[in-house]
Amino acid sequence: MKRVSLFIPCLVDMVLPHIGESTVKLLRHLDCESTYHPEQTCCGLMSFNSGFRKEARRLAQHFIRVFENDEWIVSPSGSCVNMVKNRYMELFDDDPVWFARAHDLSPRVHELSQFIVDHLGVEDLGGTRHAKVAYHESCSTLNALGVSAQPKALIRSVRGTELVELTGADICCGFGGTFANSFADVSTALVRQKAQYFLDSGADLLVMCDPGCLLNIQGYLDRHHPGRRALHLAEYLAGSIGEKAQVAT
Amino acid sequence: MNITTERFKETARQELANAHTQKFLQILPLRLASRRDSAYQSFPDPETAHRYGQAVRDESIQRLPELLQVFETNAITNGARVFWAEDSRAANGYIVELAKRQGVSYVTKGKSMVTEELGLNEALAQAGIETWETDLGEFITQLLQRPPFHIVGPALNIPVEQIRDIFLQKGVIDTPTTDPVALGMAARRFLREKFRDLQMGITGVNMAVAETGTVINVENEGNIRLNKSSPRILVCVMSLEKVVPTLADAMHMLRVLCRSATGQAAGAYITLDSGPKRSDDIDGPEELHIVILDNGRSAAYQDPKTREALRCIRCGACLNACPVYGKVGGYPYGWAYSGPMGQVLTPALQGLGKTGDLIRACTLCHRCKIICPAGIDHPSLLLYYRYKDVVGDRALGGSGTGWRERFVHTLLSVAGSDHRLWRLLAKIARLAANRFRSGDRIHSIPNGPRGWFSSRDLRALPAKTFRERWAQMDQKRN
Repeated sequence: MKRVSLFIPCLVDMVLPHIGESTVKLLRHLDCESTYHPEQTCCGLMSFNSGFRKEARRLAQHFIRVFENDEWIVSPSGSCVNMVKNRYMELFDDDPVWFARAHDLSPRVHELSQFIVDHLGVEDLGGTRHAKVAYHESCSTLNALGVSAQPKALIRSVRGTELVELTGADICCGFGGTFANSFADVSTALVRQKAQYFLDSGADLLVMCDPGCLLNIQGYLDRHHPGRRALHLAEYLAGSIGEKAQVAT
Repeated sequence: MNITTERFKETARQELANAHTQKFLQILPLRLASRRDSAYQSFPDPETAHRYGQAVRDESIQRLPELLQVFETNAITNGARVFWAEDSRAANGYIVELAKRQGVSYVTKGKSMVTEELGLNEALAQAGIETWETDLGEFITQLLQRPPFHIVGPALNIPVEQIRDIFLQKGVIDTPTTDPVALGMAARRFLREKFRDLQMGITGVNMAVAETGTVINVENEGNIRLNKSSPRILVCVMSLEKVVPTLADAMHMLRVLCRSATGQAAGAYITLDSGPKRSDDIDGPEELHIVILDNGRSAAYQDPKTREALRCIRCGACLNACPVYGKVGGYPYGWAYSGPMGQVLTPALQGLGKTGDLIRACTLCHRCKIICPAGIDHPSLLLYYRYKDVVGDRALGGSGTGWRERFVHTLLSVAGSDHRLWRLLAKIARLAANRFRSGDRIHSIPNGPRGWFSSRDLRALPAKTFRERWAQMDQKRN
């Protein structure tokens, strides 16, 4: 049994906490013991991406202090994992002490689907859910972490689920953090395109591994296509194993 | 050419509203990208070929000062004249002076982004010397007085009707036609006249080989070859990062360049020139002038991070991969270089003063980095520029940041280092945002993120954070 330290991004904590709950449920289903450090705050991604490195360092140092004794650190967010796993070393490239601590932490941080498939060796959660699903390849998950086969394998393994082709699955949804606000016109054009491809795919649900994309795509769907749903992989999978998880509790 | 990088958002808005641009962008970048992908499959091992090319550029840039000297020595030995131009003024001055001294009334040009960077056509025009662009796309943009839309295909976006009209107006054709072949033939006939008595031709350089002093050009129309072989005087302008160590390196870079740019195994014409016409050659220029342009590159080289932008081989693959370019096209980038390669190169050469939007017009999707045959990490470089801009870095001309943004990030970092304060802040943020809820949705927040709410809703923030829910789950379990 693996003991998993939950790395819950601030966006999930405050805005999309059900993704965190689904993550816990999935890990319990997989016989992992979840722990949660209530001291965790924000990994510093937003500050780093905005150029505020001094501020990001402070947040990164806090993160490292909170998590550095954990063996398995798992997060339902490709972009936050990329920040901690890869960007922290860039952030501390002129600080040997903190660089070493970031470097040491890096291999222990995992995106959720990657952890399940690559480290637990599970490709089938044994769940059932009747739906047509399209998968959106979140950029950080796909391009920065190289994670794509894992979530798709997990979706395919669900009984009654059909994973359908999505045109432009690997084209950005236009979120990009503050980009969505400061380059709203371009961002809107991209999320409109993503929504259109989703509607054209004939899928009931659009599933993804990043809460940032989810906020963006769901926000657009709510405004322009009410009733259409995007959701996080953890939610989708947790929904498929609903009953068994309750028994396990 | 005029630099309009600071009008990125404005130009982007115009292009987003331009139905023709949008229709065109739906098709072409995707088609070029897929051609590139299938061309790469013709390598026995595409991934290794990709990494080999990156290693060549890595070595080229690491050894740049030394390689340039070796190149110069060998080029001179071959009989070429080498001029080191510190900036656009020096380069333009040398070329204009040369043209005047030789008494030429016009010059022809091969498509080259570096001469766009120089604003060479304008400089020649001011000296009363006519310039004819001989690449079909560049010829069209020259007649229309438009900047290049794409570094590989400058006029890709121009509708054929517009080409017909400008060709009629400028006397390239007499009878109207929208047949692309007929238009191409007409341009060819028109330009062939210019080559006949050509005194001076000007081209860019795709690669310069240090060990042999050779300059290499790649093209598909044959016009560069005519530019290089028919005049008495040939001027090849290269930005100083174009040098590679050996001919074998150059051959590999040609393989990745052609595949990355147009999805071809090789361009239709690849021309290697080592010096001017020798006594036993049947043709070629009597004089070969190689202008090596700095224009801010040596300064960029000093910083190991910005140096990375100099790896670029101008294949344009990153433009075709970029989601932002795919929506706004080439004009908003406001200079010779567009897309991700422009976003990393323009700030390195022009500083951050006018490129604040350029370095932020990116979702950090990483596609450019993955596709880049030169091994540039564009996202990392853009993040570096943002940092340098925020701290008001002097060398790069960073402009600092407004108090409001600084306050937000300071608050984030202070609260984020103390989880109690963080929770308090989260609660305040939730209460503040939810004041504007209607039902379970927030449609807008006064003085809030207007760009976000221009097209998106936000769901009302849940009453309990994950942390609070965890505490309950934890209790239930025990």
